[in-house]
Amino acid sequence: MISTIDQPASTAQTATAEPPAASGLSSYDLPEKPLVTIVPHRSWVPLKLRDLWSSRELLYFLMWRDIKVRYKQTVLGATWAVIQPLITMIIFTFFFGKLARMPTEGVPSPIFFYTAVLLWTFFSNGVTNGANSLIGNSNLITKVYFPRLIIPAAAVGAGLLDFAIASVLLVGLIVYYGFSATWSYLMLLPIIVLTTLLSLGVGIWFSALNVKYRDVRYALPFLIQVWFFVSPIIYPSSLVPTEWRWLPALNPLGGIIESFRATLFGRELPWHALAYSAAFTLGMLVYASYAFRRMERSFAELI
Amino acid sequence: MKPIIKVANISKKFRITPGEAPSVRYDTLRESLVKLVRSPFARFRHNGADDTVWALKDVNFEVVPGEVMGIIGPNGAGKSTLLKVLSRIIEPTTGRVDLYGRVASLLEVGTGFHPDLSGRENVYLNGAILGMKRREISSRFDEIVAFAEVERFIDTAVKHYSSGMYLRLAFAVAAHLDPEILIVDEVLAVGDASFQKKCLGKMDSVTQSGRTVLLVTHSLAMVRQLCRRAILFNEGRVEINGPTEDVLARYERMQSVEPMIRT
Repeated sequence: MISTIDQPASTAQTATAEPPAASGLSSYDLPEKPLVTIVPHRSWVPLKLRDLWSSRELLYFLMWRDIKVRYKQTVLGATWAVIQPLITMIIFTFFFGKLARMPTEGVPSPIFFYTAVLLWTFFSNGVTNGANSLIGNSNLITKVYFPRLIIPAAAVGAGLLDFAIASVLLVGLIVYYGFSATWSYLMLLPIIVLTTLLSLGVGIWFSALNVKYRDVRYALPFLIQVWFFVSPIIYPSSLVPTEWRWLPALNPLGGIIESFRATLFGRELPWHALAYSAAFTLGMLVYASYAFRRMERSFAELI
Repeated sequence: MKPIIKVANISKKFRITPGEAPSVRYDTLRESLVKLVRSPFARFRHNGADDTVWALKDVNFEVVPGEVMGIIGPNGAGKSTLLKVLSRIIEPTTGRVDLYGRVASLLEVGTGFHPDLSGRENVYLNGAILGMKRREISSRFDEIVAFAEVERFIDTAVKHYSSGMYLRLAFAVAAHLDPEILIVDEVLAVGDASFQKKCLGKMDSVTQSGRTVLLVTHSLAMVRQLCRRAILFNEGRVEINGPTEDVLARYERMQSVEPMIRT
């Protein structure tokens, strides 16, 4: 009968398994496994480092945006990055160096203070900007998806440029006071990386907490103040009497700052303190990242 | 045909704290600690009867590749919540979604636009936020600017743009996204007549190109023109899922009956 005429037509149709042809995507082959599966998570959420890596361009763009916006329509532009630590150093040198006669371990006061102030400015700005980053980018969090860890990371990373600019003055001071580069200068990069990671860990943790508990916004400046005094910035660690030394030794930033100074002044590095700082930093970063991921699922609702 | 989007038993519960202004959704540390001390077992005792709202209730549907699916429904039905779940902005309370293609979500036009940055800078920023690689943005940059008709002003700060220019540029970036699945939420409802026409034209060509599109809109005309199938949402549930005309008919019936019931 006529059914035989039908047959070739239907085989032709089954040969192409795709919807009516249009250009472009009609030849899109569905993968075997879904690209993305969305399910509710119970407690601990995986970090998904691969997702973070594939969003690295966005990290760069957000850093670039923060930096550009910071200096747009300013007259002094990027020099502001130097002015803050510079003025701080001048004030410290006058009040603590000259008036209070703070011992500076045989090193001229200006450079003694500037080394710590430089590192401290980078660290504290990183933590503060990181902590406020999620709230500040609430419009992104409620409208677009990308790995949220990028946001505090961009806030901390944007501070690296300020650090680099302010370091120029440090180089100038080193030359001026006649210190010379030694092999120990190779330690500078690991120390800077360590500071960045510590700033990142603390910033990430506070940024997530800040979304849920707005107290953080008010508690943080106070915490930063306390942290400042517990760190060997305006005084050397050796000033602390021996029986109390264990207390500031708990501060991971202590080892970092002392190592930074020791490297630049050609002294023996406090290896124990540095190892402690590294361990603390790593632990903090891992803990903060997991805690962040766990709190992440409710960001868009709470913010 | 294998679906490109599979939504299974999706439900979403929101907690609303009774007795407080709806805007206060976050706790201060003190409040949380006080709540904990006062009634540590409150979490277990509470059935959550009066302080939760289910925005989505057991939603199930599938979308096949190349389909343009309209999602309509009254305000508060849960359409935007569903899109947020599909866009991974909100986590579902129960259920599972499987996506077999890359998704680009357009829940808002101009996400991430910064007023102090120039049009050019914002195109790159917005493109990156929406998921485009820098290479892609560069290669499409001229098209985007031409589509938005802002060539002369592309290097001025966006805060100086008129609202029309802003909208056109923001939409232009989004219109040049290239995902397999595109999710759009009522963003085409703003702008003047010529802008609307341009948006519609672009949406048309996007749907012709074989992409899968989920479109939430209140414009029944747009649903009729672009979508072959539609879903009607009401109070968090899928009311009906089928050919556009059937769904629209049901929606119109629902709209005319409801006012009578309420009074």
